[in-house]
Amino acid sequence: MRWSIYILACLVAVAADASIGGILKIGSVQPRFLPSVVVFALFAAPRIHAMRLALLAGVLADLLSPVVRVDGTQLVVIGPWTLGFALGALAAVPLRSLLYHRNPISGGFAVMVFSLLASVVFVAIWMIRLLILRDELPSWWPGTGASEVWQQGKVALASAVVGIPTIWFLDKTRVVWGFSTAKRVVPGAARELA
Amino acid sequence: MNATRLFQFISARLSGRRLDWTLVGIALLLAVLPARFLAPWTSDVARIVSVPIVPLMHLGMATRDAIRPPREAFDHRAPEVIALEMQAEAARTLFEQSRLRVEALEREVSSLKGIRSQLGSSAVQLETATVVGIDPTRREGLVRINVGARHGVHRDSVVILGGDIFGGLVVNDPTEFVSIVRPALKCTLSVRLYPAEGVDPARDPKLLQGTVLKPSEGGVWTGDIASELAIREGEIARLTDERYGSVAKGLRVGRVRRILPNEQVPGARIVEVEPFALLVDESTVIVAMEPPEKRQEP
Repeated sequence: MRWSIYILACLVAVAADASIGGILKIGSVQPRFLPSVVVFALFAAPRIHAMRLALLAGVLADLLSPVVRVDGTQLVVIGPWTLGFALGALAAVPLRSLLYHRNPISGGFAVMVFSLLASVVFVAIWMIRLLILRDELPSWWPGTGASEVWQQGKVALASAVVGIPTIWFLDKTRVVWGFSTAKRVVPGAARELA
Repeated sequence: MNATRLFQFISARLSGRRLDWTLVGIALLLAVLPARFLAPWTSDVARIVSVPIVPLMHLGMATRDAIRPPREAFDHRAPEVIALEMQAEAARTLFEQSRLRVEALEREVSSLKGIRSQLGSSAVQLETATVVGIDPTRREGLVRINVGARHGVHRDSVVILGGDIFGGLVVNDPTEFVSIVRPALKCTLSVRLYPAEGVDPARDPKLLQGTVLKPSEGGVWTGDIASELAIREGEIARLTDERYGSVAKGLRVGRVRRILPNEQVPGARIVEVEPFALLVDESTVIVAMEPPEKRQEP
């Protein structure tokens, strides 16, 4: 697997979320492209890389979603999305065995599961910060954590819808990603005869 | 040298799952670090990371603007926008005109229904008319309405306002399309005074006070009361005059405004009655025409 391609795809996805994604916004719900890229990579890359793939994308998401503080400065907290993506990866990787992972609709479903779990962790981390540290307010303040999870659930659903064509498109670029296609050779009677 | 060894030691120890969980641990630690430890450096890291994204974002924004132009591009002063706004205003005016017309028609239908229900099954013909002018040459304050002989209007046809208020009487032999009406306020009317709160049906109507109202100064009628029957201000005067036909009987005329002692006749009183509505103030009236066989000569 070529990490440079993955990083480039993540950057493009983050840029698309921050710019062209606004066109797809329905009410307050804007789908995200980044989870689709991560899920595509999780489905195609070796399992050993799965967690690192998700953590890298999560760090990127954290770095590009700062919180505006009371004094007008911005604070970047690395962790909420990073850990959320990690949990999402832990859930998405087993789905490789359960779903036909080259099917875009399976990919869309995985994107929803991934995004939903990631958002739950994101909200949980911010609630912990709010209760323990009491130094910064989350971006959804003064709303409740539950309402934010509900909102992120809707975003997850929208991301799943957007994920179907995105994963289909990414699958067309599979050659560029350099995923290993080697199959494990299992010794058997036919092989012995040959 | 020691640093190289430390790195080699760490890389040899940290691989596979151990590396993943170490990274997760670091992320967890960073996630719960107080803001004062994060603020000095995370914003800078974010700024560095955003450098390669900025050109991509510019490209995305350009694409977005091409697909959905920003609202700032909308010119409120463009001629086509002004023309559209004017059209919209004209459409609103037409709409409001239609609504007012509907409202007027509903009022008309309602008063026609009201009068028809009062008249029961009698063959009285009803016609809606519009007040088209006040004759300035006559002291009687005659009013012209836009129905005439063509519509069946005849001399002594009764003009009704607001469903059950006596408005006046047609005083000429109408032309084809115009009739002249003498307003009620300029007529002498025989009336009976009814309590404002209603009358007990068991009570004999003859016990109610009657009088003849004559036009007086100040837009009121006055009537003499010779009996000692109790009268109160606010009582309602209803027409009992035989001269105006059965259609006009019972129509409301006005309300008792004042009761004054008659200084010329000891013990007698004068009632001052103000009209409920004036014909000259109305735009639409209803003309009730009795069939020829029922007409009575005054």
